[in-house]
Amino acid sequence: MDPEPLRGPVTLAVVEDHPVTVDGIRLWLSQDPGRRVELVASGPTVEAVLGGPGATADVLLLDLELDGVMIIDRVAELCAGGRRVVVFSGHREPETVLRVLDAGASAFLAKHESAEHCVDTIVAVATDRPYVTPTMARALISDDRPQRPRFSEREHLALLLWFQSMSKASVARRMGISEATVRQYIDRARVKYAKIGRPAPTKAALLARAIQDGLIRPEEVRDYRSFAAGGD
Amino acid sequence: MSEDPEVEVARRYAGAATVAAVVVAACWHLGYDLTAMLVSWERYRWPLLAAGAWAAYLAIGVAGSVALLRLRRPLRMVWAYAAGALALDAAVIAASSPGEVLGLADWGWGSVGWLGLILFWRRRRHLRELIWFLLADGAIIVAGMALAGVYDRVSLARVLMVYAGGVTLQIGASVGGHALAFAARLAAEKSAEQAATEAAREIAERVHADRMRRYEAVRHATADLLTAIAEGADPADPRVRRECAVGAARLRRLMTETDDVPDPLLATLREHVLDAERRGVVVSLEPPVGTIPELPAGVRHSLARAPLEALRRARGEARVTVYAGGGEVIVSVVADAEDVPVEHLEGVQVTQQREGRSVWIQSRCAVP
Repeated sequence: MDPEPLRGPVTLAVVEDHPVTVDGIRLWLSQDPGRRVELVASGPTVEAVLGGPGATADVLLLDLELDGVMIIDRVAELCAGGRRVVVFSGHREPETVLRVLDAGASAFLAKHESAEHCVDTIVAVATDRPYVTPTMARALISDDRPQRPRFSEREHLALLLWFQSMSKASVARRMGISEATVRQYIDRARVKYAKIGRPAPTKAALLARAIQDGLIRPEEVRDYRSFAAGGD
Repeated sequence: MSEDPEVEVARRYAGAATVAAVVVAACWHLGYDLTAMLVSWERYRWPLLAAGAWAAYLAIGVAGSVALLRLRRPLRMVWAYAAGALALDAAVIAASSPGEVLGLADWGWGSVGWLGLILFWRRRRHLRELIWFLLADGAIIVAGMALAGVYDRVSLARVLMVYAGGVTLQIGASVGGHALAFAARLAAEKSAEQAATEAAREIAERVHADRMRRYEAVRHATADLLTAIAEGADPADPRVRRECAVGAARLRRLMTETDDVPDPLLATLREHVLDAERRGVVVSLEPPVGTIPELPAGVRHSLARAPLEALRRARGEARVTVYAGGGEVIVSVVADAEDVPVEHLEGVQVTQQREGRSVWIQSRCAVP
């Protein structure tokens, strides 16, 4: 299940209107021992970033609020072309997190948890693998919409403990299982969300990778599909 | 029973109108009817029938009044009582000698309308039913006149005058009483609405004032910090960095606090978070998952005790979360602190786990 070594550093484009935040991101990337991510473009608007070298970046890190305007509606449009989008915001209410995931975003990073999770999230997303930040875990267990996926008891517990402790080792000890199994429960819960909301190439890629990694079985994808069809 | 003063006032107004109806009927029956019957006693064909009718009137009146004033609902089979009232009306006519029909001895037809007023007061279509009842009363007196052979113009004029007068009084009392109750209810609703708006405004003002107060506090803290940096404090200094982190955590919390009526559990946690921050601890207090149900004060204190102890012992960092769902409430604190003494508390389950320098306290209680 360990990700295969990357061919080169993951390329990252950042849409962020505060230069100081971009500097912060640059600092986190430089502190990563493997230097796994390279920042290739940054700018204050989507157009400015995608108009240059950012157009071909592996991952787009998108601040949800640019110049005081929320751009949730643009997430779907960006994901529709297969672009891997990681949303990065201080607005971490569960409704916002679920909306951007539904729209096809690969992950949600709350600004205050970025230092610990930023690089790992970007690397996971670049290979179409799930990465669940504690803020995402909170949103997933808060979801009470009728179309929400059903989690197993263990998946729900793993998400809750991860949200509370922010340490997978602690969760593993509490549940009496290995850290890898904890990751598996959390990632499975995330993959279930790939079938919620509008279809997007990023979601299909996430499901395909999850099958390849043995996280879910192909039949389970069909289960989600038939469940979604029945819920219409 | 509502404790709302406006509703209480409306209820009293409505109650006063019904009491007035009962008092009028009672005075009429005990004053006029009884006197008229006793004065005419000698002229009745069957005085005992008249006395029985008077007693029956009293019985129906008492039953109707109890339903009206005490039970606050109409009698069951109210039309059976109404039929009884009309029958006693006919009985008084029958008891009177033909010459006394419409006379003083024939007190029933003019007085029975008050019974109708009481019987139908709480019915949904009270006015329509009262009018039907009064029309039946009119039909009975006309039939009584026919049987007694009283056709002269003077008698007809007299019956019309007395009937019209009585009916006007009784319908007037019913319409007036109900209008009074309606107006009182309307006024109560308006007043309650006004009170609710006033309360909402006051709450909004308080919440706003509270936010401004906290904002002021944070602004002071950050302004001092920014001034210090501007004046040359080194951002690489761990103390400056820690103060920046505390200020940022506070600002973040200020932005995410959207509850206008803070939950008492969250309020307690926030208070302790502020204390910890004053000691320089960087605390992340996550907005709660789910809606925290109302917990008895004792349970709430027990639930918060161990997590708050961990927060008090935190040296540099703490994370506080609250989860409500699946029939339980869980307060969790992860802090770089020494172990917390865990005591057994009724209804609360506490687990403690150490992970290197951090301790993780989870305190949970079941929600009934």
